[in-house]
Amino acid sequence: MIFAEWKPLDELIDKLEPHKKVLLAGCATCVAECAAGGEKETETLAPLLRMALKKKGHSIEIVTATIERQCEWEFVEELAEKVVGVDAIMSIACGIGVQALAERFDPIPVYPGVNTSALTIREEAGIWAARCAACGDCVLGETFGYCPIARCAKSLLNGPCGGTRKNGKCEVNEDVDCVWSLIVERAERRGRLESLSILRKPKDWSNSRHGGPKRVIREDLRQ
Amino acid sequence: MHRFASFAIPKLRLRLPPRIEPCLKCALILGQMCMVDGIKELNQDLEVVVLYCQHGLCDEAKASAWSEQACGLSVRAIMMPCSSKIEVPYILRILESGTDAVEIVACPEKSCKFLVGSLRTEKRVEYVRGLLEKIGYAPERVGISRRLAQSPQELIVLAKARADAVRPFGINPMKKGEQQ
Repeated sequence: MIFAEWKPLDELIDKLEPHKKVLLAGCATCVAECAAGGEKETETLAPLLRMALKKKGHSIEIVTATIERQCEWEFVEELAEKVVGVDAIMSIACGIGVQALAERFDPIPVYPGVNTSALTIREEAGIWAARCAACGDCVLGETFGYCPIARCAKSLLNGPCGGTRKNGKCEVNEDVDCVWSLIVERAERRGRLESLSILRKPKDWSNSRHGGPKRVIREDLRQ
Repeated sequence: MHRFASFAIPKLRLRLPPRIEPCLKCALILGQMCMVDGIKELNQDLEVVVLYCQHGLCDEAKASAWSEQACGLSVRAIMMPCSSKIEVPYILRILESGTDAVEIVACPEKSCKFLVGSLRTEKRVEYVRGLLEKIGYAPERVGISRRLAQSPQELIVLAKARADAVRPFGINPMKKGEQQ
């Protein structure tokens, strides 16, 4: 899922201070899964902001709405009746949702309420870990299902850096597994350790952010 | 008068106010001159909501909701099917409505009928306290007690203790025209 976290509350409060009526918009998909922008978080943040602003002497009306996905125009349209009379929107969806609302409801200012930071999996309740970096040139087939781009601190493609701890943890963070240690262990279990000796050439990053803003066209799906 | 009204007022060292108003409730309980104004001055008319787990109560207390008002302290008690049903937005909405403090009464660890319900609630309370601190509210406005077989009187004592913890910070700034 796309992972996001609330921005510091002070930052959110500063943004809303000049406004009279604000729509706080949640998204019930990825950011709900990472407990940052779903309905529960929307209904948590709204009273919190009202209380903080009231304490600072600002009476502000905050209406809330959580839609299924802020990254789909059909769902975004559901907010149309909610934005009537609001002078700002705060979206706690990922950056895609924020931009969708900004485009649909221009010229109403849309503020991001979260920082979108990673593509993660929920390891267990309350713990999320990065699993994908959207690099555009997937190597998971050669690395036994472990992503060295997202899970190695140095994104190394040809084995560990040499800083792996004796217990198989990363030298950067002792709570994080060295992904190359995991790759080697799985390769050994499958009897395919020799496949890791193949030298990988420099990765093609052009299909990721390095190739400029991405835009994909599928003629078979176009109307 | 509510059927749970006959609770014992904790002993307080009071400086009697110059003007003493009669209070039927105090007179009945204490059998002496009413001290409502003096106690009111201490309690600043604090409102406390008590959310309590239905499994942690004696039979007498098993009413879905009840309220009690005495000596400047207003207590509203709401029974929950399990304390784990008390979500973060629920607590914040209560505080947003102007309630001065929220006291949650959950079952002790290992006594929770849903095993980890009261543990989850305790974590949520800590989370809410952290949020309140970040926006400049006293985290003491939310608290949790883990008890079993509570009577209504004991719930009111817990509410009183929560009010005492909040009193130094004054009434909830959400009350109109008031500042913390």
